[in-house]
Amino acid sequence: MVTHPDLVPTLGARRAVIAYLAVFGAVLLLMMALGLLMRLNQGALVTLPPEIFYQSMTVHGTGMVGVASIGGAAVLWYFLGRYVRLTTWVFVLNLLTFTVGAAMILFADFVGGFAAAWTFLFPLPAKAGGQWEQWAAMVHLGGLLLIGTGFLLFHLDTARAILGRYGSLTRALGWPSLFGNDPEPPPPTIVASTMVLIVNTMGLVFGASVLVISLINLVVPQFTIDALIAKNMIYFFGHVFINATIYMAVIVVYELLPEYTGRPWKPNRPFLAAWTLSTVLVMVAYPHHLLMDFGMPHWLLILGQIVSYVSGLPILVVTAFGALMIVYRSGLRWDLAAGLLFIGVFGWAAGVVPAIIDATIIVNSVMHNTLWVPGHFHTYLLLGQVAMVLGFVAWTGKTRASQLFNALAFWIFVAGGIGLTQSFLYAGRLGIPRRFAEYLPEWIGQARIGAFSAALVVIGTVMLVGPLFIRLNRAMAVR
Amino acid sequence: MAEILNLIPSFRRIAMGAGLFLVLAAPSLREVLEQDMTRHMLIQLPFLVLAGWLLIPAAAASCRFVVIWDRFGIAGILTANLAAAYWMLPRSLDNAIALPVFEIAKFISLPLLVGVPLGCCWPRMPMLGKGFVMANVVSMLGIAGWLYLAAPVRVCVFYLSDQQEAVGRLLLCLAGAISLAVLFCAFVGFRPSAARTA
Repeated sequence: MVTHPDLVPTLGARRAVIAYLAVFGAVLLLMMALGLLMRLNQGALVTLPPEIFYQSMTVHGTGMVGVASIGGAAVLWYFLGRYVRLTTWVFVLNLLTFTVGAAMILFADFVGGFAAAWTFLFPLPAKAGGQWEQWAAMVHLGGLLLIGTGFLLFHLDTARAILGRYGSLTRALGWPSLFGNDPEPPPPTIVASTMVLIVNTMGLVFGASVLVISLINLVVPQFTIDALIAKNMIYFFGHVFINATIYMAVIVVYELLPEYTGRPWKPNRPFLAAWTLSTVLVMVAYPHHLLMDFGMPHWLLILGQIVSYVSGLPILVVTAFGALMIVYRSGLRWDLAAGLLFIGVFGWAAGVVPAIIDATIIVNSVMHNTLWVPGHFHTYLLLGQVAMVLGFVAWTGKTRASQLFNALAFWIFVAGGIGLTQSFLYAGRLGIPRRFAEYLPEWIGQARIGAFSAALVVIGTVMLVGPLFIRLNRAMAVR
Repeated sequence: MAEILNLIPSFRRIAMGAGLFLVLAAPSLREVLEQDMTRHMLIQLPFLVLAGWLLIPAAAASCRFVVIWDRFGIAGILTANLAAAYWMLPRSLDNAIALPVFEIAKFISLPLLVGVPLGCCWPRMPMLGKGFVMANVVSMLGIAGWLYLAAPVRVCVFYLSDQQEAVGRLLLCLAGAISLAVLFCAFVGFRPSAARTA
């Protein structure tokens, strides 16, 4: 059993990781700019034509999921490569398919006018009501399929490498230590990567299936699918995929906090049990996205509510508790990377709370179509997942920027993030609907607070990822 | 499955393959299998492929010709896919029933152009390739199942709509069963030596 990192990434591998982070930074900023534009429009500070708003919303939603997964993949690949031999060309191929797929989506949405949101719910892509043409929907869905194919190859390569070294997924999840007496469990990175490859492969297979079905429907409209089955497949894929981005990113916490504090993060039974439990629960919890669909079997909705209460909690608890224990009285010298990692764990933990509230059927029936939900996922993605990946960026680059600059960048990003997410949650509490391009006068105030906060987030992110672009070569050399 | 087949001595494999082929070609069994769309698609066609796979000795996968012409199993899997794709068309099934020449073509092409290339390429494919093929098989079986269920018309002249729907349901079940089997294999165990060759 491999329990300690014994492999050193090659120069090519490090260059590939930096290329991922560069794409992550660039696309993240572009998507943030679109988000800012939408909030400005809702706050009546700029005027966007409605079709541009919904095209921007589609690109923003799809692009942010994609960029979170690219950032997470960079983290996973870099640290997993310390334990098992991965294939660099597969990693690079995934970045290429992502880049081409993202370009296809941008073209389909902004040139072709496709604006069916990230959810591309059947049969909306084929019934555009004159808003976009068939080719635009096909290019958008084709771009998604291409990105999914790249990620499937990426996870198959991690599966090959993990199985090659650990023999089975159960051993890689640490079951001999969890259920037996093996004193040497696999490291957290292996456990997390194994969980991610299991759930994401399942999600991608379902996602690819529903994308191909939608494409066939676009060409031959007589071939239809039950809209509710299609929605189940889409949300299973989407729910699993976006959650997996956090489980990929959290690996940086497991790897770097021990480096900072000098205290190893050794998996114990609760840790292994939590990851095994979440492997199953994250796939079963997706019906909480469909609590408003009256056609769903009631037992599935009840299951969705109950499982949602415990789905992400096991991993979150062991990670948050572990992070606190590792940092407590460790004499840790805080820097930009350590701060971002810590805020990432906070954002993840804080973002789960509104999710659990919304997963309660009686609450969901009044809150789900409000800004409460964007409040939830912006908290655990922006202040959680993205903060963790930005922590990785900061650690990789180890910039020469002054402490004051780093502190400013950190606090501007955090203040903006909290302001943005709280404005969403507060608006949700007031019952302001989501996905509306135009607001009533009484909603505009909180939208302006959100826009101001979003501007801070963009400034903070520019300050955080800017040094990476300035010193790309140096970033490749130092780690 | 492939590993189990490779454990069988060569002469037994070939004998089993030839025997299976002859049994499938027996007129009475052929008629029984082709009377029903499910039996035709999900029993006769896969067993013809299996017969071809068995006809190739395990050592053939490592012979010089195959190694040169079928690097990483790419040529083999492409040949098998292209040949199999033709027999996935509903019209091909109709032709096989209506015209003897198509029936003969089916009995030759499925073992020789699908089974034999698969038998040669599968043991030599990297695990990444095998995983990609399996993931595609699962999603495409699911999509084919949906197509048969959603088709607004009868896709085969010789088979009724209820048989078509039964095939659709069985294809979906097959996709689920293969997923579970792959997950079971990955969870229970894997030979590290096989993975390192990738």
